Amino acid sequence: MIPIRDDNPQVATPIATYTLIGLNVLAWVLLQGFGNESALNASVCNYGLIPGDLFSDGNGQRVCRASGEWSGLVSSMFMHGSWMHIIGNMWFLWVFGDNIEDSMGTARFFIFYILSGLAAAAAQILSDPSSMIPMVGASGAIGGVMGAYIILYPKVKVHMLIFIMIVRIPAIAMLGYWVGVQVLGGISSIGATGGGTAFWAHVGGFAAGALLVLIFKDEEMLVNHPYYGWNQKADPLDIWQDPKNRQ
Amino acid sequence: MTDLLESTQVRAMYMSDTASVIEIISDHDDDDGEAAEAEFQDEGVEGHFVLVDGDDVLGISGYREIENCDATYYLSWTYLDEDYQGKGLGKKLLADVLDRLRKQDARKIFVKVSDYEEDGKNVYAAALSMYKSFGFEVEVVGQDFYDDGESQTILGLELTPQSEDLSVADEKPVIRFNGLFEIAETDGAYTFAWIVEKSAGFFGKRSFTPEDLELGISSVKEQGGRKIFLTFPSNLVLIHRPLQAVGFKYVGQLKDYYEEGLHELHFSHDLEGIG
Repeated sequence: MIPIRDDNPQVATPIATYTLIGLNVLAWVLLQGFGNESALNASVCNYGLIPGDLFSDGNGQRVCRASGEWSGLVSSMFMHGSWMHIIGNMWFLWVFGDNIEDSMGTARFFIFYILSGLAAAAAQILSDPSSMIPMVGASGAIGGVMGAYIILYPKVKVHMLIFIMIVRIPAIAMLGYWVGVQVLGGISSIGATGGGTAFWAHVGGFAAGALLVLIFKDEEMLVNHPYYGWNQKADPLDIWQDPKNRQ
Repeated sequence: MTDLLESTQVRAMYMSDTASVIEIISDHDDDDGEAAEAEFQDEGVEGHFVLVDGDDVLGISGYREIENCDATYYLSWTYLDEDYQGKGLGKKLLADVLDRLRKQDARKIFVKVSDYEEDGKNVYAAALSMYKSFGFEVEVVGQDFYDDGESQTILGLELTPQSEDLSVADEKPVIRFNGLFEIAETDGAYTFAWIVEKSAGFFGKRSFTPEDLELGISSVKEQGGRKIFLTFPSNLVLIHRPLQAVGFKYVGQLKDYYEEGLHELHFSHDLEGIG
């Protein structure tokens, strides 16, 4: 099951969405050598987020990073663990990111995305502060995009490819699907001790996005949006139907 | 008298016709005569036509294209010498002008008519019924537009058929008011000038706010204005709440004014007896 596209109209060119996808791809190409094993391992160590490293006092537990542990909070958001990992994440960003950007504007969306990623990292760190497994992936930030999407456009239809069929389902039903995909299929943490899904990062990113969007959304940009909210919104012109508002 | 219908001709107006044309207009309405003279001097006489019988100018009509619109026109000064009314000559002149517009693929034409009364008689009643006989339909009636008790009726005529259900995409530009002025030919009717700004800023507002409108309203009051008239394109979805919040009323719309499916909405605010 893959979301092919949504019925949500794209209003403005989603510059931040395209830029974020570009940065992720650039990191994959330049820093991770297209997933070449040695480049991948080095990049995960150097740019991934290692919770245990943040709070250690240099007692020799460090895996490979020489310095700048805290920069991993942001740089890990642009690293991935495999071709499937980056393709899956970028596909979701491509399909859903534009509509979130349309609800708040380019600059605000960029900050919203980074904050969602940071919240995801924070959730992962809190779940296991001493973990030495490096965490990489845009999944936490994209979880924020998904959280915002379901808050803003719960009823818009998403076209899902299921085997060879395309089925249109409401965005709210995507919630269960997306969580399922993340739990079962995502490979978001890789380390010497093995990889797995950074479950709490996804939950944290998702929850952060769902909350942040309430502050970041721009009501004016959503006026007359055909899929905003649970109820069909009245045409702004309708207020003039009231006889007391007419000359 | 039917021979006049045959002997008269419609030809393009020259600058040298100005004096006789102004005389015809002034016979009906001195103010219009002055306004027309100034306009001919500023903007020329292109798009204007005169009905002539030999060397005698009997009537004037014409059109001016509306800026920033797709083939939309206003009917310009349309007057017939008072001595020649009721003989079908006005119809001959107007039919000719409308034919010329249709041939150049004009889409829509509007005409503004006052309901000014002199000696208890509506001066423009005959003109209004003539426009209606050509298929013009009343689209907007601005009460007390020219003055208290003198309304402005705007009629529209489709010169090429316009689609009924075409809709134009919403737009949410950043609109800011940058001035106000008394509308020409009115006594105490004001409007606001507005511009579209490029960017809303990080947490900036796109639409003007009720406070912006209140500021303009109190300025007009200070200048002794009676009424405010505002017009906006029909696809600006953010303007309605603020306008309604400060008491603007919806007057009507000029259909397909800017382009097919994009209308001009008219709003008014009565300042008398308030505050």
